[in-house]
Amino acid sequence: MDRAISIRNLSKTYPVPFRRLRAFFRRPVKEPVEALREVSFDVNTGEIFGLIGRNGAGKTTLTKIVATLVQPTTGSVSVRGHDSVDDDEHVRREIGLSTAEERSFYWRLTAEQNLMFFARLHGLSDRAAKQRIRELFSRIELDEVARRRFGELSTGNKQRLAVARAMLSAPPVLLLDEPTRSLDPLAAARLREMIRSLAQQDPPITVFLTSHNLAEVETLCERVAIISRGQIRAIDTPRNLRDLTSDSEMVHITVAAGEKISFTRQHNDDRLDETIRKLQSEGQKIIDIETERPTLLDVLERYEAADERR
Amino acid sequence: MNSLKLLPRRIFAFVARDFRLFVSYRMQFVLRVISILAVVTTLFFISKIFAGFTDPQFAQWRDPLATWLTGLAVLNYFMTGFSSLANSIRQEQMQGTLESVLLTPINLPTVIVSSSAWDFLETTFFSFLYLFFGRVFFGVHYRGSFFLAVVFLLLTTVVLACLGILSASFAMVFKRGDPFGIFLGAGSALFSGVFFPTQLLKTYAGPKLGNISLLLPTTHGLDGIRQVLIEGHGLAEVTTPLFTLFGFLVVLLPFSLWVFGRAVRRAKREGSLIQY
Repeated sequence: MDRAISIRNLSKTYPVPFRRLRAFFRRPVKEPVEALREVSFDVNTGEIFGLIGRNGAGKTTLTKIVATLVQPTTGSVSVRGHDSVDDDEHVRREIGLSTAEERSFYWRLTAEQNLMFFARLHGLSDRAAKQRIRELFSRIELDEVARRRFGELSTGNKQRLAVARAMLSAPPVLLLDEPTRSLDPLAAARLREMIRSLAQQDPPITVFLTSHNLAEVETLCERVAIISRGQIRAIDTPRNLRDLTSDSEMVHITVAAGEKISFTRQHNDDRLDETIRKLQSEGQKIIDIETERPTLLDVLERYEAADERR
Repeated sequence: MNSLKLLPRRIFAFVARDFRLFVSYRMQFVLRVISILAVVTTLFFISKIFAGFTDPQFAQWRDPLATWLTGLAVLNYFMTGFSSLANSIRQEQMQGTLESVLLTPINLPTVIVSSSAWDFLETTFFSFLYLFFGRVFFGVHYRGSFFLAVVFLLLTTVVLACLGILSASFAMVFKRGDPFGIFLGAGSALFSGVFFPTQLLKTYAGPKLGNISLLLPTTHGLDGIRQVLIEGHGLAEVTTPLFTLFGFLVVLLPFSLWVFGRAVRRAKREGSLIQY
């Protein structure tokens, strides 16, 4: 499978400006901050890849390095074969980044004028830009606020405009930082559906998603990386990651008589089938079956606890 | 499409953006026009105090109103050449929009040049207003080659833009407290001969302090423009300020570009490009 993003031995330590000068004048000197340590993984073309971790774990730094905004200390990142340091301009042609940062727009310009400005920077002709903006506004349901000043938009619409901007130049790789953070549940569901459709279109779009909404990551992403204290602790499908915590699940069956039967089963064992058969043979009517599985939150907590013990 | 081919479109994008932002503050525009008219009117009345008293050794100051107006109009332009590059970076940093601009396939020098384009258009208009009000309302006459005056104006602006690049580099690394701005901003009005002949500095403050004016490109630019527009001098008579400005350019252009490259690398390494 083609690689959309390749990250190799990536480390980033933020230096302290004028450290030696401060030390010379005997001023207090902070230690350099190690934000990423030896990070390596690939994101495949057309994949929706999730990155989860606590605040300060290194998600933003990693995203910014992929987006060419920050230079790595060591290691490399390439996007569709282009190095993020040596060929940064080319990398920026291949990516679109949507962040939850509201200040990244011009507040006195309308939503449409804002996108027009960025479309021109991407090199789109005015005609192509207008058409693309119309398409995106319709797709992301922003038609009604197109002529409203950015400052007058609701937080959710500002967030959707950021996603529209990331998609302006139809980039093959999208970096989405908490794309549904400020959206109402319905709008969030529709945006998730759109993100899913992007990966299925031809040619497919690769999505690199960072989010604190673990349920969203679990539903959307084919693979998920867990980052903690600048290190990637695990990369796998959401199901396999959950199985890392426990390979069993709790099952609750409610029957018509109101009785509730609960038991623990291993994945892929026959206990659930056997119980259902037994209940049916006894003439019991099954009303509901619920399962309690470990979630990505359990996985995240497990790695955090392990890191804290170190 | 290569970056050079896209440059006009990108410059237009910034100009269109800034124009829209500018017209969203209409009152500011009206007040600025009124304040320029007020300054020109005030200078007209002050100039009347000196009517007939000008020392013959100060050839450029026979009509003080014409000299002040050229001084103010041109200084306004020079300061834009110097400050708009750093201001454009600082403003985008403060607004929080620099990151989104830098995410487009555009390099930092293009961002700086393009985002200061509107400043130059705006300043051209307001600088022209000084001369226009002087001519229409107070009968100020300019003579000599306007083409040569424009050559001086452009050359001095480019020299100051080199200092502007140094200032932008400083803004990127240190964010605030730009020493070039303090030196040129405060120094130009005092040492460049905007309001009084530079010779007076030597007479009253001694040759050491008086010679500071020679270190400022604005002094030579202003002198050249006044020689052309007020004294009516031709190319052969203005070679001294012209070559001096070329000298500044030859030294400052490569140096400022080198410093700028280093500042960008440093800011990216520290991850501080978008901080202010």
